[in-house]
Amino acid sequence: MTAFTLNRRKFLAASGGAAATAATASLWGTSALASGSVIAAIYPGTWEESFRSIVAPALQEAAGVTVEFDPAYAVDQIAKARAARALPPFDVFVLDPGPAATGAEMGLYQPIDTSKLKNADKLPQVFVSEMAIPVAAQVVGIAYNPTKFDTPPTGWAQLFEEPYVSRLGLTGFQTTFGTTSLIEIAKAFGGSLTDIDPAMEKIKEVLPKIAAVAQPSAMAGLFQQGEIDVMYTNTQTVASLKGRGVDIEFAVPDTGAIAFVTTMHIIDGAENLDNAYAYIDTVISAGVQEALMQEPYNFIPVNSDVPLLDTLPMTSLDAMNDFVRHDWTQINPLRPGWIERFNREVAA
Amino acid sequence: MSLTATQGEGARRLPRLSGDWPLIVPMGLLFIGFFCGPLVLLLWVSFHNDQNMEVTGVAMWARFLGDPFYWNVVLDTVMLGVKTVALTVVLGFCTGVIYLSCGPRVRSLMLFAIVLPLLLSVVVRTFAWIVILGNEGLVNWAVMSLGLSAAPLRLLQTELGLVISLAQIELPLMLLPLLSVMARIDPNILDASHALGASRWRTMFRVILPLSVPGLIAGSLLVFASSTAAFISQSVIGGGRLIYMPLVIWQQALVVYDWPFAAVVSIALLVTVLGILTLISALGRLART
Repeated sequence: MTAFTLNRRKFLAASGGAAATAATASLWGTSALASGSVIAAIYPGTWEESFRSIVAPALQEAAGVTVEFDPAYAVDQIAKARAARALPPFDVFVLDPGPAATGAEMGLYQPIDTSKLKNADKLPQVFVSEMAIPVAAQVVGIAYNPTKFDTPPTGWAQLFEEPYVSRLGLTGFQTTFGTTSLIEIAKAFGGSLTDIDPAMEKIKEVLPKIAAVAQPSAMAGLFQQGEIDVMYTNTQTVASLKGRGVDIEFAVPDTGAIAFVTTMHIIDGAENLDNAYAYIDTVISAGVQEALMQEPYNFIPVNSDVPLLDTLPMTSLDAMNDFVRHDWTQINPLRPGWIERFNREVAA
Repeated sequence: MSLTATQGEGARRLPRLSGDWPLIVPMGLLFIGFFCGPLVLLLWVSFHNDQNMEVTGVAMWARFLGDPFYWNVVLDTVMLGVKTVALTVVLGFCTGVIYLSCGPRVRSLMLFAIVLPLLLSVVVRTFAWIVILGNEGLVNWAVMSLGLSAAPLRLLQTELGLVISLAQIELPLMLLPLLSVMARIDPNILDASHALGASRWRTMFRVILPLSVPGLIAGSLLVFASSTAAFISQSVIGGGRLIYMPLVIWQQALVVYDWPFAAVVSIALLVTVLGILTLISALGRLART
């Protein structure tokens, strides 16, 4: 009989036990699921949306593997992986070149055996490395509103002259597209990959005229609202704004558009190694790459079997060899200083 | 037997501790584990000289405290909070006075309208303000069609625009405590004030305002803490030229991986906000005596 009398002590013990059981059950649930699954970090927004609707079903069909997405920006993925140390929070990274180089320096990846990827030989080999598989290309240049200017801007330096400068939206070194564009601007005024002084001096000089200095995430919104009419960005942003009916065109600067690839990496100590390979192989397969290239996602494919859309500023992936590329192992050590400098120079 | 004895001893040593204290244990453990623990960790991280956290030292603190730029960032962050609080106090008090004069049905409608924005994500509310404050936005449309200005006013990416939008975004935090305090004001006191010959204005400032102070103080605490930390609104509406502490923390922690410096700025933000909050509550006590 005493067994059924409930006092506080017993109640606490019982509820503690119940909580522990629930916790164990949920842990078990995850690991049971993990046998046929892979956890992939993914950028929030277009990437997450398109990968959920295109890559996830394709992977299920091709390999019977369920993919679980962990939405996080590149820098957050690195921070998470670094903070978790021995307990990898996911199996596959998706990163832009800056964070990718940082992750390599921190030793967060494991070598990739390309013989396990059926589609690896279709990739532009310049971008394939021991630790990285390219999954999408990005082309960065100038975006402008064709209804607001008589002639499209043709070069980086021109952005700092009227009529463009008073409609220009600037963003700093926090993103890959921002950093690479500012480097090209520096070059246009006599700087180099490692010397951004000329760009900063020019920005300081014209600062009162500039329409907006904004955080990267706000740029598209400002363009859509007509706050700014010219900015530097990638073709994907231009295509998706255009798809929403915004007056926007992409211009290739006279010194060339900037090209880089977004890469996937397998985390060191990945729990679902084979599934990680299956996932990456699905992402770079021709069918998936082709689907990702279409509206409203507008990715630039990296599989040479996929014919490029004529809206893109190049006819083949090989043409990207002539585009401007940057060595991020040289940029990364300087970038913290640049970010701080940008803050100081533009601070109101 | 021994159990009763220990409880008895405990009760003698801490006479005010009632028998219900185990009830706070779960919350207390959560608090220690998930709040105090990380805070100590943050403090420990801040005392490292390098990004890889191998060398301990005070270099990051020296970098922060020795740089006038960061002092300005602290000052700007505090001023943003102060201005937002000031605007919400004015708006909140006016709304409160209207609320007092309304009947129960209108009051519940008002409460509903006040709580409604809280149901929307802060991101949505912030982006809505871009539409309102922009060059082609509602405010500028009104200003220009009324002929008040030939060129659109610059409101986005300015402190003024940010304070306006933050005031709207944070207003419920001011109104909820304020209205609950104002609703408890005894109507007989207001009648007495009228009966003794005080005008409506005099009643408002000499009777209603002093009695509302506890609500204003509580609201100010919430609005200040929340607006100084409003990273999304600060970065989306304030733009790249207004640098506040949350932005610096984000940049240092997540873009350049300088965790020790990010920890220093985080602690500085915490200490600054706590300092101002202490000041506000001290002012509140002063006003009540």
